[in-house]
Amino acid sequence: MDEKVPRSNIIETEIPMGTVHPAALEPYRVRFFVEDEIVQEAEITIGVNHRGIERIMEGLPVEKANALTEKICGICSNSHIWNSCRTAEIGLGIEIPERAEYIRVIMGELERLHSHFLYLAHGCEVLSHETFSMRVFYLREIVMELLAMIGGNRVQYGCSVLGGVRPRCDLDEAKLLRLKNDMDAVEEGLTSFVERFMADSIVMSRITGIGVLPQKQAIELAVTGPSLRATGVARDLRTTMFEYDNFDFNVVTQPDGDVKSNLIMRALESFESIKIIRQAIANIPEGKVINRDWEMFDTDFTESYIEVPRGTLYHSYALESGRVRHCVIRTPSMANIGAMQYACIGDQITDAQLCIVQCDPCFTCTDRAIEIIRR
Amino acid sequence: MFGNTLINSVIIVILTVLVCFVISTLLPGIERKYIHARIQQRIGPLVISPGIMAPIKFMFKENIEVASPVPGLYKILPIVCFIVVLCLLIAITPQAYAIPALASLVAIVGLLKLEEICYVLMGALSKSVMSLRMPFPDLAKGGAHLNAQRSFIEDISSKRSLRMITYGSFPLYLALFAPVTAARSIFLKDIVAFQQVNGPFLFTISGAFAAIVFFIGYMIVLNEYPFSIIKAKSDVIEGPYMEYAAKYRAIVYLTRGFLMFVLGAVFSVLFIGVPPTIMSWGILLNIAVALIFVFLMGILSAFSPVFTNRQLLPTILGATLLGVLAIVLGLL
Repeated sequence: MDEKVPRSNIIETEIPMGTVHPAALEPYRVRFFVEDEIVQEAEITIGVNHRGIERIMEGLPVEKANALTEKICGICSNSHIWNSCRTAEIGLGIEIPERAEYIRVIMGELERLHSHFLYLAHGCEVLSHETFSMRVFYLREIVMELLAMIGGNRVQYGCSVLGGVRPRCDLDEAKLLRLKNDMDAVEEGLTSFVERFMADSIVMSRITGIGVLPQKQAIELAVTGPSLRATGVARDLRTTMFEYDNFDFNVVTQPDGDVKSNLIMRALESFESIKIIRQAIANIPEGKVINRDWEMFDTDFTESYIEVPRGTLYHSYALESGRVRHCVIRTPSMANIGAMQYACIGDQITDAQLCIVQCDPCFTCTDRAIEIIRR
Repeated sequence: MFGNTLINSVIIVILTVLVCFVISTLLPGIERKYIHARIQQRIGPLVISPGIMAPIKFMFKENIEVASPVPGLYKILPIVCFIVVLCLLIAITPQAYAIPALASLVAIVGLLKLEEICYVLMGALSKSVMSLRMPFPDLAKGGAHLNAQRSFIEDISSKRSLRMITYGSFPLYLALFAPVTAARSIFLKDIVAFQQVNGPFLFTISGAFAAIVFFIGYMIVLNEYPFSIIKAKSDVIEGPYMEYAAKYRAIVYLTRGFLMFVLGAVFSVLFIGVPPTIMSWGILLNIAVALIFVFLMGILSAFSPVFTNRQLLPTILGATLLGVLAIVLGLL
């Protein structure tokens, strides 16, 4: 695939969009440099939603800080609290009950499902195909209700705590049965949607060959998650996470790195998530869901990486007298912004927001990196 | 009941316009409630919500002052559009046939062109906060291409409207002239009379092709998905209409519903030979045609993404060729 080269000489027109735009779920600024509606270069600027969560976490008791991380993102809230707890658990050497690990995996995969469904629905919305968008949102609703059933809430579940999961998130027989039945419903609905979606020649003409991100550029730009896998790179951190040792799943890839590949990627990956959840339901061990038998002590700077719906999530901090020090969080969108800018090049400006959306941006979560200039 | 006097004719036209206008306010609601919402398996708004309640609500909203270089002209354009559609309806009523210059295809095409020109002006005169006017430090040190010419997103919409004038609405105009090939006259009086003697033009091969082309043109003129590139949500958002608020927004909504009806009525006149007038039961046919068009448009738009230039140009080219074929068949 030919490399797309941003134009660095004469630019005909700049068209800025945002920070408020209906095709974007979050506030950000994007400047498109166009020639006859063809994007020659794009520049994305974030930072209008900075909340300083890492700064607030500094000095907080670790359990409070963990709960705060859930507020970073409204879509992958569980991933943040899971990874934040995981960081402390690695530092403190806390052993997690196996049942709790299974529940965390179930929550993680449910979250992946609802995130991917949101992605598909939003993608269709930006394509201005409201009917497809609505259909995916209906599917997502089943998953949201399951998350509410386990976590007691649709967005902030508060499932993971140090040492395992909150006891109210334990899964009894009735909940497991509902999970199983709803996974059947989701699979059936998703299969039907994907078949209909793929058979729609108008939609295919809108998304095929649009927003192409070649594999070489994806690797150079350190793209992560499904956006990387949509370029053909089989890299999924779940294959290295000990929580997933007992699960059999495939790392899905797509060859082209365009909008079509990205959309199909998420749909196929959703089937893998359903597969993982089914395995978890079938094999979930009995026992306690939280280990309270651990001691607090000061730790060095501890790091934890997990695979979340959008890619690799990084949390790190040290513990000092039970309080958080030097907290750093890095969300996948931070790495993917370069890909978003690159994907727009060469396409119609009508497709530009679609090219950004194909990388599944979550700018509000990413709005934490700050540079402190000492004068 | 009425004598053939000028006053009576004026009264009939006014009553016809009123009836058509009232019915037209229901069309956007029918499209959204009974087509889009049903297809998308949701309840949808009240039938009277998009066409009646929303305009009434907007009528009483406080207006925001637009950031336009010529705000007076910008604000008057929706009113111009409404008047154009009104004139279009008057032109196709039988009472207007006494004025050949008004009741002719040239007048209809001219009025539709005027409507399209309004979109160009609206886009060019709108400077919304959604792009360049947003106070954001774009031109900071380190930013890319600091010396590039900067443009509002409505400018794209304006350019697209201009393109649509030059080639986008071409299928509609070809379809409008297809009945001329049968009636050998551009005057509506002759076209209607021809069809009343020889049967509807729609039921000829040429008419069937032209009807398909007319429907595509109808969707293009109404800026409905998939042909809504001048107000594509993914880039230009509302495009020309972006800054219309309060009573101006209400007029935009009313005009759209009215245009839906009037284009259906134009089809009835040119392809079936039944002009709209309350003096005839034929007005029911006008209403039925308008409803059928709305249903077809709703179904097509519910299952279509917006076309970009890549899809739009071949589609318009195909429709244009079909229109040419209809005219050639009509001439044979």
